[in-house]
Formats: sequence, structure tokens, C-alpha cells
Amino acid sequence: MQTQIQQAVSQISHVILGKEQEIKLALTCLVAGGHLLIEDLPGMGKTTLSNALATVFGLGFSRIQFTSDLLPADMLGVNIFDSQRQAFSFHPGPLFQQVVLADEINRASPKTQSALLEAMEEHQVSLDGETHELPSPFFVIGTQNPQHQAGTYPLPESQLDRFLMRIQLGYPNWQAEKDMLKQPRQKDVRPLSPVISPAALLELQQHLDEVHASDSIIDYILRLVTFSRESEHFPNALSPRASKALLQSARSWAMIDDRDYLIPEDVQAVLPAVAEHRLRSTLTDHPTQTSLSQLLLEQVDPLAA
Amino acid sequence: MNRLNPSAYNHAHLLLTLVLCASSFTLFTPLQTWILILVGCAGIIRISLFLNWQKHQISVRTINLLAILSAIVLATFGWQLGLLLGMLNLLALACSLKLMLLANRRDYFQLIGIQFFLIGTGLVFNQSILFSLLYGMLTLMLLLSLAFHISPSTSWRAQTMRIAKMSLQALPLCLMLFLIIPKLGPMWQMPVGKGSETGLSDKVTPGDLAQLARSSELAFRVSFEQQVPAMNQRYWRALVLEEFDGKTWQTAPYRDTLRRRYQRTNNRFNPAVSGPRIDYQVLSEPSQKPWLFGLDVAISHDSKIWQGREYQLLSRFPLQSGIAYKVSSYTQSPLLPDIEVLDRRLNLQLPESGNPRTRQWVKALREQHKTEGELIKAVSEYFIQQDFRYTLNPNPMPVDPVDQFLFEEQAGFCAHYAGAMTYALRLAGIPARMVTGYLGGEMRGDAYMSIYQYDAHAWVEWLSEDGWKRLDPTALVSPLRLDFGLQQAVAYEDSFLADSPLRRLQQFAWVNEFRMLLDDMDYLWSKWILGFNRDNQEDVLKALLGELSTLRLTIAGLALVAITAILLALYHYKHWLVLAKKTPAYYYARSLKLLDDNGITRPHWMGPEDFSKQVQQSMSTDISHIFEHITGCYLQSCYARGGNTKTQGLNQRMRTLLNQLKQGLKKKKSSVRDAQRIDNIS
Repeated sequence: MQTQIQQAVSQISHVILGKEQEIKLALTCLVAGGHLLIEDLPGMGKTTLSNALATVFGLGFSRIQFTSDLLPADMLGVNIFDSQRQAFSFHPGPLFQQVVLADEINRASPKTQSALLEAMEEHQVSLDGETHELPSPFFVIGTQNPQHQAGTYPLPESQLDRFLMRIQLGYPNWQAEKDMLKQPRQKDVRPLSPVISPAALLELQQHLDEVHASDSIIDYILRLVTFSRESEHFPNALSPRASKALLQSARSWAMIDDRDYLIPEDVQAVLPAVAEHRLRSTLTDHPTQTSLSQLLLEQVDPLAA
Repeated sequence: MNRLNPSAYNHAHLLLTLVLCASSFTLFTPLQTWILILVGCAGIIRISLFLNWQKHQISVRTINLLAILSAIVLATFGWQLGLLLGMLNLLALACSLKLMLLANRRDYFQLIGIQFFLIGTGLVFNQSILFSLLYGMLTLMLLLSLAFHISPSTSWRAQTMRIAKMSLQALPLCLMLFLIIPKLGPMWQMPVGKGSETGLSDKVTPGDLAQLARSSELAFRVSFEQQVPAMNQRYWRALVLEEFDGKTWQTAPYRDTLRRRYQRTNNRFNPAVSGPRIDYQVLSEPSQKPWLFGLDVAISHDSKIWQGREYQLLSRFPLQSGIAYKVSSYTQSPLLPDIEVLDRRLNLQLPESGNPRTRQWVKALREQHKTEGELIKAVSEYFIQQDFRYTLNPNPMPVDPVDQFLFEEQAGFCAHYAGAMTYALRLAGIPARMVTGYLGGEMRGDAYMSIYQYDAHAWVEWLSEDGWKRLDPTALVSPLRLDFGLQQAVAYEDSFLADSPLRRLQQFAWVNEFRMLLDDMDYLWSKWILGFNRDNQEDVLKALLGELSTLRLTIAGLALVAITAILLALYHYKHWLVLAKKTPAYYYARSLKLLDDNGITRPHWMGPEDFSKQVQQSMSTDISHIFEHITGCYLQSCYARGGNTKTQGLNQRMRTLLNQLKQGLKKKKSSVRDAQRIDNIS
């Protein structure tokens, strides 16, 4: 299993150069069964990453480009009257795929946003009194531009909370970008091959709870969230849902590292991705250089008995 | 902006509010009324927030406006209050505003801190046993509030038990500090509170003393060591008034100047004394005045006490709190004038005009009686022969008071008699002065004597060839006053404590009993708690240790420390045992300490594996390898499944690894040292 995930990481690394850590986090999120929010400027490879993720796991993939006039029906699907059967039949929308890339999620109207987020939470879609199950595994990758760009509806805190992780890709380093530019043009769209089957992914997800979290590690997580609640540095404190997300992601990270127990480093590795978007306030412009989660990490001793 | 209500059903906030209101209202003399009203408002706001009648806090803007207004008012009216009262008012004002604003933890803790301070300040102004109990209770309430702040959902009962337990634990420490910490005098000069003055004043218009005599407040207490002098001999001298302007008697300004000069040069007055001696201790109540009390000729060797040149005793500072001092009185010793010329000059001073009838009368008397003794006798006779009355309700005599008193009213209080007599003697060319103080005192069993404000008295002193002689014209008019006290002396007009509710209650025996009991308690409180000074401290230590020597004190101190340490050890030993138990975490901490000593410190937020990697980068492979193993064991025991079941084996391994690490580091150190030495040699 370890080797398969390593393979997946190296496969995707061929497409997105110099971003192993972010790729690993994205995989962690997928294994943990949560949804992923990628936040970055245009042209950083958000779409490429999600496409690659879907391909590597051999999952069905669809992409919804969010615009301000996108309606919920465009995404969920519609009931159309079938004149032969004299009945309505449901035509599923692009959401009914295993990996859904919701591109530029903050450009859509709040109504559409909340329809998507509801589907993410419930794993099902209700339309005209009928409930339609979404496929499994169901993995939404939302991307969003930094909010100070024009024409955006920032996601409220309550909806940001639905995303297990939020990562930023950031600019590639000198060497990676040089390599990218030197690649021949046709290699840029090199086809990836599936490494892990969807069934294997589901199995991984089911074994997640077997990763042992000792009391020491749970205490560490509790110290972290308590600190965020008691300190005055953080606009928003970490909720119990956040602490659950933290444990879940850390487990997934440990599993990818092929370890059957958690150590503080697992928590520390996933904390920035899990906590940053929950800690900061959506109201204020957030300068990216001061990372709240980093601040939180540096205040809490993982060993304190 | 309206903010949500943080106080709804918040017991911590409620208790804080109650304590703030209570402690402010006990300070109602030093605090200004409008500030008390603000405090009251803040209390009402907080309580209605607590009951959730009101759902929203007052907006910050309103409070800011209120704060600016109050600051202006305080700045306008508060500047004449003096530093301490001004600060106290400012503090109470700030407290009330903060209480209205109280929203987050920081506000709360600030208020708690200030509350403790305010309670301390309260003890500066009120020191009686009841107030002390009240302040003690307020302190407990504050602690309770803190307890509720920390664990809001615990029940009242459990919280109270917890606080009671903790306070009991603090009690021995408190007692020890009380007995051992040296008593320091106040480090600041206290401003005099307005309106709170009772007791003798350095200016006496004869009607004043009659006013004072309506008060049943305690003036001071005395405990005698030997026999108690007779009632009519207990003239407690407080002030000598030598300056007369026709209406008012006051201390001579020149005497004050002189005294200050002596005090600066620390030139103490040591009157020659002889004859039998009475020793006693005086416990004075706070009076905001510096003068003290003693029977003539009173000598005190206490360093706090200044021996006045007119045979009175003075404190170096106005009495903010009660003071206890020892006095020896030489009752038969003459009161020789310090500088006779000065005494003569000061005590023959007269206003230039006024009281013409008295002037004429004395002139006539002087022509008849040439010697001093005869003249005094003649004046005394006038008092006896005429129908003079001793009364607590003299009529006001605004114009030429001596004339009016001697020839028209013929009824007055002791100050009237003393004033008229002194004036008459001075007119006749005999140096005389008025002395005020107290006469008598009520004995309580054999233990102590209480002297109340209604024992206030004034008498005359004239300068004879062998010193100052006491002359009490009141005795001529009302011998009862001397032998049985004021109550008997004015029994005929039924004016004793006429306004006091106590008087009506005095008819019931049990009320008297109860009052006596309270008196006794108050006496013990003043003597042992308030009056506990360095002398008492030494007495207690002597009683405990025998003769005081450095060695004994050292041993006693060390023994105390040792006992405390042993008690602490007994209390905590279980906890320590757990710590000392060798767990993998313990070995890991040891290895971290070792590395720390060698210059590699784990940033406190770093996880063990990351730190192991950091060690790999900065240490040689053999050491980092050992540490990697230690880290591995630690991770195994702390984080892996079932880690704490196999600690036995892990402990064994970690001990070996730790020793290896120790040796490795030592070797590295010595090799570095060798390298340095080689460098030095070369």
C-alpha cells in the first residue's frame, strides 16, 4: 500500500513539479475522506493537480467551472419529462462523479455554493422530493482565487469548515520551474496511468480508524485547540469539528507514511492545511506571510505531560 | 455597537459586583458621593445583566463619554482631595466604569486585582473588628468569584468548600507572617479625611467641649500595671492652650514652631522627675490628630512618642490607626516650666479689648487681694457663692463670652469655667493656661479602663514658684463631675447622651451586658491585633524562645522552615514518587537535558522525530545514532499501540542508551578540550 501511494505521489510529481508536500497533503485529504480546498492565484496548476489525482486513482472526473450565473440545477442535474414513458426522468448533472473539481468556487452565487456544500456534507442530492445518492468515493476539490480579486463571493466560515483541508500551491521554486519550461510540449500533457484502484482507496479509508492514537497524541491535539480558544491571537477558535478533522487527517498522514500509530509530527504536518482556514477571519484581508497555524504550532509543546 | 451579555447567570461576575459595591460603600467617608452613585449604577447594571433582564451590554461609546465626563468632574473637584484620596476616588471611579464595561477575561482579572487592593485600602480607613470581619468575608467572596470563573459549572456548595479549605491552608502562613514580619510604620503621610474628626481640637471655643461630650465614642483605653489612681485624680492631659483671642482658646503658634525646631534637631525633653510612679499602657483610637494622653507627669520612652515641653505627649504623625504606647507617670512630681521666661510671657497674653466687665471685676479683686493665693481663692469663692450651674446645654454666648458667662448666664460646661478662670487669672497678672484632655474613665473589671469622648474635660494651670499647679473650677461648681463622672454631674437636667439611642437601651441590663462584651472584644482586638507592634512581637518571641539571641532566632527560623518543608513533603510525596518513577518519558527528558547542556536545545514546539533529525544534522553520527534510538523507544512507549504495557523492557534499553549518550557526549567534550589545548600550545 505504501509503495502504491509513493507511486501515486511520484506520478503526480511528474505533472506538478517541486510540490511533493502539497501533493501528499492532497492525497491525505482524499484518503481521510474529506474535501479539499485549493486556494491560489490562477495558473498555479490547481486544475492540473485535481485532474492528476482523479486519474491516478482511476476515478471518474468532472469539472464544474463556477461563474456568477451558474445555477444549482446546472450542477446537480434536472428532471426532464420523458414523453415516451409519460414520466419525469432524472438527468444527473456533472456533480455525479467521484472526483469533482469545483473551479473558482468563490465566483458562484451563494445559492449555488450552498447547494454544492450541502451535497458535499450529505453525499446525496435531493431534487423534487427524490433523493439521489452520489457515487462513492466522493471527493470535491474546490479551488478559489484569493478573495481580494474582483467579482468573488467569499465563502463564509461555516462553509469553509466543510473542507477538511485547505492547501496553497504557491510558486514553484527556481529549479522546478526551469525543469517545467525545458519539458517538451507534448510531455506536458503526458497521460497518467491509474496506480490505485477505487476499491483499494475505499479499503484504505475503512482502515483509517485502526491507526492508533495514544492518549499523549490526543492530549496534544486538545492542547492545540484549547490554546486556539484561549489565546487572543486567533480571530476564530478551532471547533470540536476541527479537532476531529485534525485527528482524522493526522491518521491519514500516518497511514500514508506506513505507520500504524500517530506521532506529534503527523499532527504538525497536517495542522497548517487543516487549521489555517478555520482560524482566520474571512472578513479581514489576510496577509499570507503570517501563518496563524504556524503561530499556534510554535506555542504548544507536543511533549508536555 | 451592542454586544452580547457575558454576565447572564455568571456567578463570578455577580460575586465580583457585590464585592465591589460592598467595599466601595464601606469607604463612604473618603469617597465622593457621586462616585458612590456611579458604583451603585454599575452594580445595578451588572445585576440586571446577571438576571438577564437586560440582554445587551452598554455600548463602549456611552461608557467612553461617561468616563470623559467623570474625569472632568473629578479633575475639577478632586484636586483639593490630596494625593491618596484623589487616587482612591479615581480608582473607585475607574472600577465602576470598568464594571459597566466588563466583557472579557482581561477586564475581569483587572477588576479582581483592583478589588483586592480596594479591600486593603478599606482597612486603612476602617479597622474595627466588625469591619475586619467584613473585609475578610469580602476577600473570601472574591476568591469564590475566581473559583466560579475557573470552573463555572461547579455547585455553590463545592466551591465554598474548596475556598474554605484553601483559606484554612493559608491560615498558618498568615499567622506566621503576622508574628514574624516586622511591623513597619506607614510609608506615606495620610491625608485627613473630612468630617470624620472626633475628639479634642487644638482650638476650643467653650461650647465645643459640650458638643464633644455628647459623643459616646471611645477615645482611648488604658491598662494599668499597678493600682489605679482615684477617679478625681485621673486628669488625662492632651493639649495645652495658651493663646486667647477673647472667644477662642488655642495652642500658641510659637510653641508649634519651637516644637518643630526641637524635633528637627531631635532635642528630646527629659523632665526631672521623682516620687512614686504609675506604669500603664495606653491604646489610643485613631483620631487623625497627633496628640496623646497621659497622667501628669507622663514620661514615655517610646521612639514614636514625642515628649512635649508643656508636659503633653504627642505622636510624630496624626493617628490614622490606633497606637499603643507605654507611659510612666510620676504623680507627685512638680511640673517645672522648661523656659520660665517664655512660659510667663506666653501665659500673660491677653486680647487687647473685650469683656470689659470681667476686666473691671478682676481689677477690683486685685486691689483687695495682693497675693496670688488670695486672689485665686477670691475668684473661686465667686464661683461657689454665685448660683453657677454645670450644664451640657449652655446657651450660646457670641459677644464678650466671658462677661456673659460670669455675670449673666452663670451656666456652662467645664471649658466655660476653665476659660473664664484662666482669663481672670491672666488679667490679675498670674500666668495661667487652659489644659484640655479627659477626666475619669470607666474601669472594666480589673483589666482595662475605657475613656470616652464624653469624658472630655478642661481645667486651668497657673504658674506658681514651684511649677505649674492644677486648678479645676469645675470641681467648685460640680464636685459630682470629679468623683462620679459626667453622667451623675448632669443627672439633674437629664442631658447625658440625650441624642444617643444607646441611652434608651441602657435601661435593659442585657443590652449593657452585650455592650460590655463587645467592648471587651474590641479591647482585645485593639490590643493584640491592631496594637501588635515590635514590643509585643518581642514579648511573644521571648515567651516562646526565652532570652533572644541571634543563635536562638536563627535556630527558630530554620526550624520553622524545616517544619514547613516537612509538611509540604508529607503533602506532596505521592506526587513526587510518581515523578521519580523511571518512565521512558523520564529517560527521554534526561537525554534532552544532556543535549541541552551540550548546546542543542529542542525548540519547545518541535516533535521528537523532527528533533532527532535536527540532532543528526548538528552532531556526529555516533551520538545522533544513539539519540535516534532513544527517540524511537520514546515514540514506541508514548504513542504506539500498547506502548505503556511494555515499558519494562523499554526502560532497560533506554537506561543503557542514556548512559551511552552520556559517555559519548563526555568523550566529545574532552576531545574538544584536547583540541583547544593543542591549539593553545601551538
